[in-house]
Amino acid sequence: MADGEPPVVAAKPERRRKIRWRQWLRALHRDFGYVAVGLTLIYALSGLAVNHIADWDPNFENYEREFVVSAALPLDDDEAAAKIVQDQAGIVGEPVDVYRVTDDLLEITFDDRTLHVTLGAGKVYEEGQEPRFFLRAANWLHLNRGKQAWTWFADGYAIVLVLLATSGMFMIPGRKGLMGRGAVLVGLGVAIPLGYLMYVGSP
Amino acid sequence: MEDEPKADICRSIARREFLMRAGSGTVITALGGGLYFLSDALTSEAQAMTRDDGRPRVPPGQRVIESLKPMGGEPGDPSRANYSLKIHGEVETPLQLDFAALMAMGATTVRSDVHCVTGWTVLDAKWTGVTIKKLAEAAGLKPTARHVVFEAAAGYTANVRLREALGDDVMVAWDLDGQPMRRPHGAPVRAVVPDLYFWKSAKWLTGIRFTQRDQPGYWETRGYHNHADPWKEERYG
Repeated sequence: MADGEPPVVAAKPERRRKIRWRQWLRALHRDFGYVAVGLTLIYALSGLAVNHIADWDPNFENYEREFVVSAALPLDDDEAAAKIVQDQAGIVGEPVDVYRVTDDLLEITFDDRTLHVTLGAGKVYEEGQEPRFFLRAANWLHLNRGKQAWTWFADGYAIVLVLLATSGMFMIPGRKGLMGRGAVLVGLGVAIPLGYLMYVGSP
Repeated sequence: MEDEPKADICRSIARREFLMRAGSGTVITALGGGLYFLSDALTSEAQAMTRDDGRPRVPPGQRVIESLKPMGGEPGDPSRANYSLKIHGEVETPLQLDFAALMAMGATTVRSDVHCVTGWTVLDAKWTGVTIKKLAEAAGLKPTARHVVFEAAAGYTANVRLREALGDDVMVAWDLDGQPMRRPHGAPVRAVVPDLYFWKSAKWLTGIRFTQRDQPGYWETRGYHNHADPWKEERYG
Protein backbone atom coordinates (compact mmCIF):
# COMPACT_ATOMS: atom_id res chain seq x y z
CA MET A 1 0.00 0.00 0.00
CA ALA A 2 1.49 3.36 -1.04
CA ASP A 3 1.81 6.13 1.48
CA GLY A 4 -1.04 8.65 1.47
CA GLU A 5 -3.59 6.30 -0.02
CA PRO A 6 -6.64 5.60 2.06
CA PRO A 7 -6.83 2.08 3.44
CA VAL A 8 -9.05 -0.27 1.57
CA VAL A 9 -11.89 -1.43 3.74
CA ALA A 10 -13.90 -4.41 2.68
CA ALA A 11 -17.51 -3.37 2.25
CA LYS A 12 -19.66 -5.11 4.85
CA PRO A 13 -22.97 -6.51 3.62
CA GLU A 14 -25.84 -4.25 4.79
CA ARG A 15 -27.62 -5.94 7.67
CA ARG A 16 -31.35 -5.46 7.93
CA ARG A 17 -32.50 -4.49 11.36
CA LYS A 18 -34.70 -7.23 12.71
CA ILE A 19 -38.05 -6.06 13.91
CA ARG A 20 -38.58 -7.44 17.39
CA TRP A 21 -42.34 -7.78 17.04
CA ARG A 22 -42.64 -10.43 19.72
CA GLN A 23 -41.07 -8.10 22.23
CA TRP A 24 -43.63 -5.45 21.36
CA LEU A 25 -46.42 -8.00 21.54
CA ARG A 26 -45.30 -9.06 25.00
CA ALA A 27 -45.16 -5.46 26.17
CA LEU A 28 -48.61 -4.80 24.78
CA HIS A 29 -49.99 -8.00 26.29
CA ARG A 30 -48.42 -7.19 29.66
CA ASP A 31 -49.80 -3.64 29.82
CA PHE A 32 -53.27 -4.52 28.61
CA GLY A 33 -53.19 -7.35 31.15
CA TYR A 34 -52.47 -4.92 33.97
CA VAL A 35 -55.31 -2.67 32.84
CA ALA A 36 -57.70 -5.64 32.65
CA VAL A 37 -57.03 -6.96 36.18
CA GLY A 38 -59.64 -4.84 37.99
CA LEU A 39 -62.38 -5.35 35.44
CA THR A 40 -61.63 -9.06 35.12
CA LEU A 41 -62.07 -9.52 38.87
CA ILE A 42 -65.37 -7.64 38.76
CA TYR A 43 -66.74 -9.52 35.76
CA ALA A 44 -65.46 -12.95 36.83
CA LEU A 45 -66.68 -12.83 40.44
CA SER A 46 -69.98 -11.29 39.46
CA GLY A 47 -70.29 -13.86 36.67
CA LEU A 48 -69.92 -16.68 39.18
CA ALA A 49 -72.46 -15.02 41.48
CA VAL A 50 -75.07 -14.32 38.82
CA ASN A 51 -74.59 -17.67 37.10
CA HIS A 52 -76.00 -19.37 40.19
CA ILE A 53 -78.89 -16.97 40.70
CA ALA A 54 -81.27 -19.93 41.05
CA ASP A 55 -79.40 -20.99 44.19
CA TRP A 56 -79.03 -17.68 46.00
CA ASP A 57 -79.71 -13.96 45.77
CA PRO A 58 -76.41 -12.55 44.49
CA ASN A 59 -77.32 -8.96 45.35
CA PHE A 60 -79.00 -9.03 48.75
CA GLU A 61 -79.12 -10.95 51.98
CA ASN A 62 -82.82 -11.28 52.71
CA TYR A 63 -84.36 -11.85 56.10
CA GLU A 64 -87.75 -11.96 57.75
CA ARG A 65 -89.06 -12.36 61.28
CA GLU A 66 -92.33 -12.20 63.17
CA PHE A 67 -92.95 -10.88 66.63
CA VAL A 68 -95.76 -9.57 68.81
CA VAL A 69 -95.68 -6.11 70.37
CA SER A 70 -96.28 -6.28 74.12
CA ALA A 71 -98.04 -2.88 74.39
CA ALA A 72 -101.48 -2.18 72.97
CA LEU A 73 -101.28 -0.26 69.68
CA PRO A 74 -103.50 2.80 69.15
CA LEU A 75 -105.93 2.29 66.26
CA ASP A 76 -106.42 5.99 65.61
CA ASP A 77 -102.84 7.29 65.57
CA ASP A 78 -100.59 5.68 62.94
CA GLU A 79 -97.49 7.66 63.89
CA ALA A 80 -97.81 6.69 67.56
CA ALA A 81 -98.38 3.04 66.68
CA ALA A 82 -95.36 3.12 64.37
CA LYS A 83 -93.21 4.63 67.13
CA ILE A 84 -94.18 1.87 69.59
CA VAL A 85 -93.44 -0.86 67.04
CA GLN A 86 -90.14 0.73 66.05
CA ASP A 87 -89.03 1.05 69.67
CA GLN A 88 -89.90 -2.57 70.43
CA ALA A 89 -88.14 -3.77 67.30
CA GLY A 90 -85.07 -1.73 68.22
CA ILE A 91 -84.91 -0.01 64.86
CA VAL A 92 -83.01 3.25 64.72
CA GLY A 93 -83.84 5.95 62.17
CA GLU A 94 -86.88 7.56 60.66
CA PRO A 95 -89.31 5.52 58.56
CA VAL A 96 -89.63 6.51 54.92
CA ASP A 97 -93.39 6.33 55.32
CA VAL A 98 -96.18 5.00 57.52
CA TYR A 99 -99.18 3.80 55.55
CA ARG A 100 -102.55 2.45 56.69
CA VAL A 101 -103.26 -0.34 54.21
CA THR A 102 -106.58 -1.45 55.74
CA ASP A 103 -108.41 -0.67 58.99
CA ASP A 104 -106.27 -3.20 60.81
CA LEU A 105 -103.05 -3.25 58.79
CA LEU A 106 -100.28 -0.66 59.11
CA GLU A 107 -97.16 -0.66 56.96
CA ILE A 108 -93.98 1.02 58.18
CA THR A 109 -91.33 1.31 55.48
CA PHE A 110 -87.63 1.96 56.07
CA ASP A 111 -84.91 2.08 53.42
CA ASP A 112 -83.84 -1.50 54.06
CA ARG A 113 -86.90 -3.12 55.65
CA THR A 114 -90.69 -3.06 55.90
CA LEU A 115 -92.79 -3.81 58.98
CA HIS A 116 -96.34 -5.03 58.35
CA VAL A 117 -98.30 -4.54 61.56
CA THR A 118 -101.66 -6.09 62.39
CA LEU A 119 -102.83 -3.43 64.84
CA GLY A 120 -105.52 -5.35 66.73
CA ALA A 121 -103.33 -8.35 67.49
CA GLY A 122 -100.06 -6.39 67.71
CA LYS A 123 -98.46 -8.86 65.31
CA VAL A 124 -95.51 -7.63 63.28
CA TYR A 125 -94.11 -9.25 60.17
CA GLU A 126 -90.76 -7.75 59.32
CA GLU A 127 -88.94 -8.34 56.06
CA GLY A 128 -85.83 -6.67 54.78
CA GLN A 129 -82.64 -6.97 52.83
CA GLU A 130 -79.02 -5.93 53.12
CA PRO A 131 -77.02 -5.37 49.94
CA ARG A 132 -74.04 -7.71 49.64
CA PHE A 133 -70.74 -5.90 49.97
CA PHE A 134 -68.89 -5.72 46.63
CA LEU A 135 -71.15 -8.18 44.77
CA ARG A 136 -74.11 -5.79 44.61
CA ALA A 137 -71.92 -3.18 42.90
CA ALA A 138 -70.07 -5.75 40.77
CA ASN A 139 -73.33 -7.29 39.53
CA TRP A 140 -74.71 -3.84 38.81
CA LEU A 141 -71.71 -3.12 36.63
CA HIS A 142 -71.65 -6.57 35.03
CA LEU A 143 -75.30 -6.39 34.02
CA ASN A 144 -74.78 -2.79 32.88
CA ARG A 145 -77.72 -1.53 34.91
CA GLY A 146 -76.35 2.00 34.80
CA LYS A 147 -76.14 2.13 30.99
CA GLN A 148 -74.71 5.43 29.67
CA ALA A 149 -70.92 5.66 29.89
CA TRP A 150 -70.49 2.17 31.33
CA THR A 151 -71.52 0.71 27.98
CA TRP A 152 -68.35 2.24 26.52
CA PHE A 153 -66.14 0.89 29.30
CA ALA A 154 -67.68 -2.56 28.93
CA ASP A 155 -67.16 -2.49 25.16
CA GLY A 156 -63.58 -1.33 25.68
CA TYR A 157 -62.97 -4.17 28.12
CA ALA A 158 -64.35 -6.70 25.63
CA ILE A 159 -61.96 -5.38 22.98
CA VAL A 160 -59.05 -5.58 25.44
CA LEU A 161 -59.95 -9.23 26.13
CA VAL A 162 -59.89 -9.96 22.39
CA LEU A 163 -56.46 -8.27 22.16
CA LEU A 164 -55.18 -10.28 25.14
CA ALA A 165 -56.39 -13.53 23.63
CA THR A 166 -54.97 -12.92 20.18
CA SER A 167 -51.67 -11.43 21.34
CA GLY A 168 -51.28 -14.30 23.83
CA MET A 169 -51.36 -16.81 20.98
CA PHE A 170 -48.30 -15.33 19.27
CA MET A 171 -46.16 -14.45 22.27
CA ILE A 172 -44.13 -17.61 22.47
CA PRO A 173 -42.29 -19.18 19.52
CA GLY A 174 -41.47 -22.84 19.08
CA ARG A 175 -43.02 -26.00 20.41
CA LYS A 176 -44.74 -24.35 23.34
CA GLY A 177 -46.21 -21.70 21.07
CA LEU A 178 -48.77 -21.81 18.33
CA MET A 179 -46.67 -24.31 16.37
CA GLY A 180 -46.98 -26.91 19.09
CA ARG A 181 -48.78 -27.21 22.39
CA GLY A 182 -50.37 -23.77 21.92
CA ALA A 183 -52.27 -24.94 18.85
CA VAL A 184 -53.64 -27.95 20.72
CA LEU A 185 -54.82 -25.81 23.63
CA VAL A 186 -56.36 -23.17 21.36
CA GLY A 187 -58.12 -25.98 19.50
CA LEU A 188 -59.40 -27.35 22.81
CA GLY A 189 -60.73 -23.93 23.80
CA VAL A 190 -62.61 -23.61 20.53
CA ALA A 191 -63.83 -27.22 20.66
CA ILE A 192 -65.45 -26.86 24.11
CA PRO A 193 -68.27 -24.47 23.08
CA LEU A 194 -68.66 -26.15 19.69
CA GLY A 195 -68.85 -29.60 21.28
CA TYR A 196 -71.39 -28.39 23.85
CA LEU A 197 -73.59 -26.85 21.15
CA MET A 198 -73.46 -30.07 19.16
CA TYR A 199 -74.26 -32.10 22.29
CA VAL A 200 -77.31 -30.05 23.37
CA GLY A 201 -78.43 -29.48 19.81
CA SER A 202 -79.21 -25.78 20.18
CA PRO A 203 -79.73 -22.94 19.59
CA MET B 1 -28.72 -42.06 57.51
CA GLU B 2 -31.37 -41.53 60.15
CA ASP B 3 -33.38 -39.09 58.07
CA GLU B 4 -34.46 -41.59 55.44
CA PRO B 5 -36.75 -43.78 57.58
CA LYS B 6 -38.32 -40.61 59.02
CA ALA B 7 -38.99 -39.32 55.51
CA ASP B 8 -40.60 -42.69 54.65
CA ILE B 9 -42.84 -42.50 57.71
CA CYS B 10 -43.82 -38.90 56.87
CA ARG B 11 -44.68 -39.90 53.30
CA SER B 12 -46.71 -42.82 54.57
CA ILE B 13 -48.64 -40.62 57.02
CA ALA B 14 -49.24 -38.02 54.30
CA ARG B 15 -50.54 -40.76 51.99
CA ARG B 16 -52.81 -42.10 54.73
CA GLU B 17 -54.11 -38.61 55.43
CA PHE B 18 -54.74 -38.05 51.75
CA LEU B 19 -56.62 -41.34 51.45
CA MET B 20 -58.70 -40.56 54.55
CA ARG B 21 -59.61 -37.13 53.25
CA ALA B 22 -60.39 -38.43 49.79
CA GLY B 23 -62.53 -41.19 51.34
CA SER B 24 -64.48 -38.84 53.56
CA GLY B 25 -64.94 -36.44 50.64
CA THR B 26 -66.41 -39.25 48.57
CA VAL B 27 -68.76 -40.30 51.39
CA ILE B 28 -69.97 -36.71 51.90
CA THR B 29 -70.55 -36.28 48.16
CA ALA B 30 -72.43 -39.57 48.01
CA LEU B 31 -74.58 -38.59 51.00
CA GLY B 32 -75.27 -35.25 49.37
CA GLY B 33 -76.39 -37.03 46.23
CA GLY B 34 -78.61 -39.29 48.34
CA LEU B 35 -80.20 -36.31 50.07
CA TYR B 36 -80.78 -34.67 46.68
CA PHE B 37 -82.42 -37.86 45.50
CA LEU B 38 -84.63 -38.08 48.59
CA SER B 39 -85.64 -34.43 48.38
CA ASP B 40 -86.68 -35.04 44.80
CA ALA B 41 -89.62 -37.06 46.12
CA LEU B 42 -91.54 -33.78 45.71
CA THR B 43 -90.86 -33.85 41.98
CA SER B 44 -91.75 -37.50 41.49
CA GLU B 45 -95.00 -37.09 43.44
CA ALA B 46 -96.01 -34.05 41.39
CA GLN B 47 -95.00 -35.71 38.13
CA ALA B 48 -97.67 -38.32 38.75
CA MET B 49 -100.35 -35.59 38.82
CA THR B 50 -102.34 -34.17 35.93
CA ARG B 51 -103.88 -30.71 35.71
CA ASP B 52 -107.54 -30.07 34.94
CA ASP B 53 -106.59 -29.13 31.39
CA GLY B 54 -104.97 -32.53 30.89
CA ARG B 55 -101.39 -31.32 30.96
CA PRO B 56 -98.92 -32.87 33.42
CA ARG B 57 -98.61 -30.95 36.69
CA VAL B 58 -94.87 -30.56 36.24
CA PRO B 59 -93.64 -29.32 32.85
CA PRO B 60 -90.66 -31.15 31.31
CA GLY B 61 -87.21 -30.31 32.68
CA GLN B 62 -88.56 -28.87 35.96
CA ARG B 63 -87.73 -29.88 39.54
CA VAL B 64 -90.18 -29.15 42.35
CA ILE B 65 -88.90 -27.14 45.31
CA GLU B 66 -90.69 -25.85 48.39
CA SER B 67 -90.60 -22.07 48.10
CA LEU B 68 -89.99 -19.31 45.59
CA LYS B 69 -86.44 -18.15 44.95
CA PRO B 70 -85.75 -14.43 44.58
CA MET B 71 -83.95 -14.55 41.18
CA GLY B 72 -82.66 -10.98 41.30
CA GLY B 73 -83.69 -8.01 39.23
CA GLU B 74 -83.39 -4.26 39.73
CA PRO B 75 -85.68 -3.44 42.67
CA GLY B 76 -88.28 -0.71 42.64
CA ASP B 77 -89.75 1.29 45.52
CA PRO B 78 -91.23 -1.33 47.90
CA SER B 79 -93.58 1.12 49.64
CA ARG B 80 -97.32 0.65 49.30
CA ALA B 81 -97.80 4.31 50.24
CA ASN B 82 -95.92 5.49 47.14
CA TYR B 83 -97.30 2.84 44.82
CA SER B 84 -98.89 3.72 41.51
CA LEU B 85 -100.04 1.42 38.69
CA LYS B 86 -100.64 2.86 35.24
CA ILE B 87 -103.07 1.06 32.91
CA HIS B 88 -102.80 2.45 29.43
CA GLY B 89 -102.42 1.78 25.72
CA GLU B 90 -105.40 0.32 23.87
CA VAL B 91 -107.99 1.29 26.50
CA GLU B 92 -110.87 3.76 26.50
CA THR B 93 -109.99 5.23 29.91
CA PRO B 94 -106.36 5.05 31.01
CA LEU B 95 -106.12 4.54 34.76
CA GLN B 96 -103.60 5.53 37.39
CA LEU B 97 -104.27 3.51 40.55
CA ASP B 98 -102.64 3.95 43.93
CA PHE B 99 -102.46 0.98 46.27
CA ALA B 100 -105.79 1.69 47.96
CA ALA B 101 -107.54 2.07 44.61
CA LEU B 102 -106.00 -1.18 43.41
CA MET B 103 -107.23 -3.05 46.49
CA ALA B 104 -110.66 -1.48 46.06
CA MET B 105 -110.95 -3.17 42.66
CA GLY B 106 -111.72 -6.36 44.58
CA ALA B 107 -109.23 -8.89 45.80
CA THR B 108 -109.11 -12.47 44.54
CA THR B 109 -107.03 -15.25 46.04
CA VAL B 110 -105.76 -17.90 43.66
CA ARG B 111 -103.49 -20.90 44.13
CA SER B 112 -101.22 -21.58 41.19
CA ASP B 113 -97.95 -23.27 40.28
CA VAL B 114 -94.84 -21.30 39.41
CA HIS B 115 -92.36 -22.47 36.79
CA CYS B 116 -89.00 -20.75 36.52
CA VAL B 117 -86.98 -20.99 33.32
CA THR B 118 -83.92 -21.99 35.38
CA GLY B 119 -85.62 -25.29 36.14
CA TRP B 120 -87.46 -25.01 39.46
CA THR B 121 -91.18 -25.26 40.07
CA VAL B 122 -93.20 -24.33 43.17
CA LEU B 123 -96.63 -25.87 43.59
CA ASP B 124 -99.68 -24.11 44.99
CA ALA B 125 -98.30 -20.65 45.64
CA LYS B 126 -101.15 -18.58 47.10
CA TRP B 127 -101.53 -15.16 45.47
CA THR B 128 -103.90 -12.38 46.49
CA GLY B 129 -104.53 -9.53 44.09
CA VAL B 130 -106.76 -8.37 41.29
CA THR B 131 -107.04 -10.06 37.91
CA ILE B 132 -105.85 -8.40 34.72
CA LYS B 133 -109.28 -9.16 33.30
CA LYS B 134 -110.91 -6.97 35.95
CA LEU B 135 -108.41 -4.14 35.37
CA ALA B 136 -108.95 -4.36 31.60
CA GLU B 137 -112.70 -4.14 32.08
CA ALA B 138 -112.33 -1.12 34.35
CA ALA B 139 -110.16 0.68 31.80
CA GLY B 140 -112.40 -0.28 28.87
CA LEU B 141 -110.30 -2.53 26.69
CA LYS B 142 -110.44 -1.58 23.00
CA PRO B 143 -111.10 -4.39 20.49
CA THR B 144 -107.81 -3.45 18.80
CA ALA B 145 -105.78 -4.75 21.80
CA ARG B 146 -103.91 -7.99 21.08
CA HIS B 147 -101.00 -8.04 23.51
CA VAL B 148 -100.10 -6.91 27.01
CA VAL B 149 -96.79 -5.46 28.13
CA PHE B 150 -96.05 -5.55 31.85
CA GLU B 151 -93.90 -2.56 32.77
CA ALA B 152 -91.75 -2.61 35.88
CA ALA B 153 -89.03 -0.77 37.76
CA ALA B 154 -85.78 0.13 35.99
CA GLY B 155 -87.32 -0.28 32.55
CA TYR B 156 -88.04 -4.02 32.80
CA THR B 157 -90.81 -5.24 30.51
CA ALA B 158 -92.42 -8.59 29.68
CA ASN B 159 -94.89 -9.26 26.88
CA VAL B 160 -97.86 -11.64 27.07
CA ARG B 161 -100.57 -12.45 24.54
CA LEU B 162 -103.86 -10.79 25.46
CA ARG B 163 -105.82 -14.07 25.45
CA GLU B 164 -103.40 -15.51 28.01
CA ALA B 165 -103.24 -12.31 30.07
CA LEU B 166 -107.03 -12.37 30.55
CA GLY B 167 -106.99 -15.83 32.15
CA ASP B 168 -108.80 -16.24 35.47
CA ASP B 169 -105.57 -16.79 37.40
CA VAL B 170 -103.50 -14.01 35.79
CA MET B 171 -103.28 -11.08 38.16
CA VAL B 172 -101.35 -8.33 39.83
CA ALA B 173 -100.67 -9.64 43.31
CA TRP B 174 -99.75 -7.94 46.57
CA ASP B 175 -99.84 -10.92 48.92
CA LEU B 176 -97.96 -14.19 48.61
CA ASP B 177 -98.81 -17.16 50.82
CA GLY B 178 -100.80 -14.97 53.21
CA GLN B 179 -98.01 -12.42 53.75
CA PRO B 180 -97.46 -9.06 52.08
CA MET B 181 -95.26 -9.41 49.00
CA ARG B 182 -91.63 -9.39 50.12
CA ARG B 183 -89.02 -7.14 48.53
CA PRO B 184 -87.08 -9.88 46.68
CA HIS B 185 -90.36 -11.04 45.15
CA GLY B 186 -91.34 -7.62 43.82
CA ALA B 187 -92.95 -5.66 46.69
CA PRO B 188 -95.37 -4.07 46.76
CA VAL B 189 -97.00 -5.53 43.64
CA ARG B 190 -95.98 -8.00 40.95
CA ALA B 191 -97.63 -9.60 37.94
CA VAL B 192 -98.48 -13.31 38.11
CA VAL B 193 -98.85 -15.30 34.88
CA PRO B 194 -98.82 -18.89 36.15
CA ASP B 195 -98.82 -20.80 32.87
CA LEU B 196 -95.79 -19.08 31.38
CA TYR B 197 -92.19 -19.14 32.58
CA PHE B 198 -91.92 -16.85 35.55
CA TRP B 199 -89.86 -14.06 33.96
CA LYS B 200 -93.16 -13.01 32.36
CA SER B 201 -94.51 -12.29 35.87
CA ALA B 202 -92.82 -8.91 36.22
CA LYS B 203 -91.78 -7.91 39.73
CA TRP B 204 -92.05 -4.30 41.03
CA LEU B 205 -94.88 -3.76 38.55
CA THR B 206 -95.53 -0.14 37.56
CA GLY B 207 -97.71 -0.40 34.47
CA ILE B 208 -99.86 -2.55 32.22
CA ARG B 209 -99.87 -1.49 28.60
CA PHE B 210 -102.32 -3.01 26.14
CA THR B 211 -100.95 -2.96 22.59
CA GLN B 212 -102.03 -3.82 19.07
CA ARG B 213 -98.69 -5.32 18.14
CA ASP B 214 -96.38 -7.60 20.02
CA GLN B 215 -93.46 -5.86 21.69
CA PRO B 216 -90.82 -8.29 22.99
CA GLY B 217 -89.68 -7.38 26.49
CA TYR B 218 -86.42 -7.31 28.44
CA TRP B 219 -85.50 -11.01 28.34
CA GLU B 220 -87.28 -11.67 25.06
CA THR B 221 -84.87 -9.29 23.33
CA ARG B 222 -81.94 -11.00 25.06
CA GLY B 223 -82.36 -14.45 23.65
CA TYR B 224 -85.24 -15.86 25.68
CA HIS B 225 -88.38 -17.19 24.03
CA ASN B 226 -91.06 -14.70 23.06
CA HIS B 227 -93.91 -16.90 24.30
CA ALA B 228 -92.38 -18.98 27.15
CA ASP B 229 -94.72 -21.97 27.44
CA PRO B 230 -93.16 -24.33 30.04
CA TRP B 231 -94.92 -27.42 28.62
CA LYS B 232 -93.28 -26.80 25.24
CA GLU B 233 -90.00 -25.90 26.96
CA GLU B 234 -89.99 -22.54 25.22
CA ARG B 235 -86.98 -21.31 27.15
CA TYR B 236 -84.81 -19.74 24.48
CA GLY B 237 -85.68 -17.93 21.26
